Amino acid sequence: MVNPGGAYLGADLYVIDVEVADGARLLLTTQSATKIYRTPGSFAEQRMTLRLGEGAQLELAPDQLIAYREASYRQDTRITVRPSSSLVMAEVVTPGWSPDRASFRYEELRLRNEIRVETPEGAGLLALDNLLIRPPLNDVTGMGFMEGYSHLGSLVVVDARVDQALADEFHALTAGHDACTGVSLTASVGGTTGLVLRSLSNSTEELNRLLGACTALLRDRWHGQAPLNLRKY
Amino acid sequence: MPNTATSYQLALQQLTDSALPTGAFAHSLGFETYIERGLVHDEASFGVWLSAFIGQQLTYSDGLAIRFLYEDVPVSELDSLLTAQLLPRQLREASTKMGTRLLEIGSEVFPSPELAEYRELVTAGRAAGHQPLAFAVVARSLGVPRTEALAAYLFAAATSLTQNAVRAIPLGQNAGQRLLRTASDGVAAAVERIGRLAPDDFGAVSPGLEISQMRHERQRARMFMS
Repeated sequence: MVNPGGAYLGADLYVIDVEVADGARLLLTTQSATKIYRTPGSFAEQRMTLRLGEGAQLELAPDQLIAYREASYRQDTRITVRPSSSLVMAEVVTPGWSPDRASFRYEELRLRNEIRVETPEGAGLLALDNLLIRPPLNDVTGMGFMEGYSHLGSLVVVDARVDQALADEFHALTAGHDACTGVSLTASVGGTTGLVLRSLSNSTEELNRLLGACTALLRDRWHGQAPLNLRKY
Repeated sequence: MPNTATSYQLALQQLTDSALPTGAFAHSLGFETYIERGLVHDEASFGVWLSAFIGQQLTYSDGLAIRFLYEDVPVSELDSLLTAQLLPRQLREASTKMGTRLLEIGSEVFPSPELAEYRELVTAGRAAGHQPLAFAVVARSLGVPRTEALAAYLFAAATSLTQNAVRAIPLGQNAGQRLLRTASDGVAAAVERIGRLAPDDFGAVSPGLEISQMRHERQRARMFMS
């Protein structure tokens, strides 16, 4: 996906609708970082709907999100999978940039992912992953929020093969990285399960290395694919 | 005859008493990870954590779920939202363990058709039985107004967590009481904020708290189940 116009501006609304057909494979990435400039008046917004068919495989690997000073951004992602679909989504959120070099000078970031599993009996909610960072409202840097770190990485995997052993392997992979990371499993819905990895660090590269190590393991084991090398830069 | 206000107030006291056997003594809801890392070690540092927990977890998850129940959102829908939103497994299990106990106790002590209905959903495997919802169903059936129910629930949660911290860190009993007095300001602010949140705010708990709750699964020596 090409980021239009170089950046998102106030009152911009991008609607992205993707369907991965039964048995199809898709790797979806961006051309560059998603940048949110100042959004006076109204927030910028991205609404994405993703539907995965039976046996469909989607790897969502956008570049990092950068919110600049006085930026306000909402990202709403709604995903529907089948019990036999395979979903991997990675995301890195940076503290933004401002002329005085201070972090977290943006107004508000909202990233909301809702994942549903469609079965013959209906659609069940598997995971609601909601991130809201509002630096002007309270101190977001300290204990209980960003824990003194600046960058946030997140990896969500939904696949019938997700189990505790995989969560343990991911946990073992975190050992070699300069990041504070947690891994846990969702409840199962319709025979499929979600794995959520969240990580705090001080650099985009460190988080990309960690998320890349985890997705490389999955690509190799589940799909016989080599590690992702997008050679964008 | 006691007037209705008195009758629900005593019931609410019983419902929020830390002696109510829901097993709250067994859960740190993530603060034990901070103790292990040396980040929570005294009255002041636990106070910082407690304030974040009240302003994040209890506001965006438990508190908002209670408010929505009072606004007639079906309990089955809220139950599934909570299960999907509580991403750290131990936190989800803590909520349903304590919730299931509260449903059992509530059915005997504060029976109502709404509570029976929620319990049946849980028994049939169509709901998980979360603590804030079990509490809200009982409180609402007793005629407790919404803001009072929210304040009581949040303060009860802060109380059991503080009692657990007094044992685990350990802190003096008076330190625990000082912490609770300070926490009451955080609870009042949280109740006010919960009233102003939008449906899309549900579950917007900070990453730091969630990561610590997840990391607790792998902590070697621990006193608490979560």
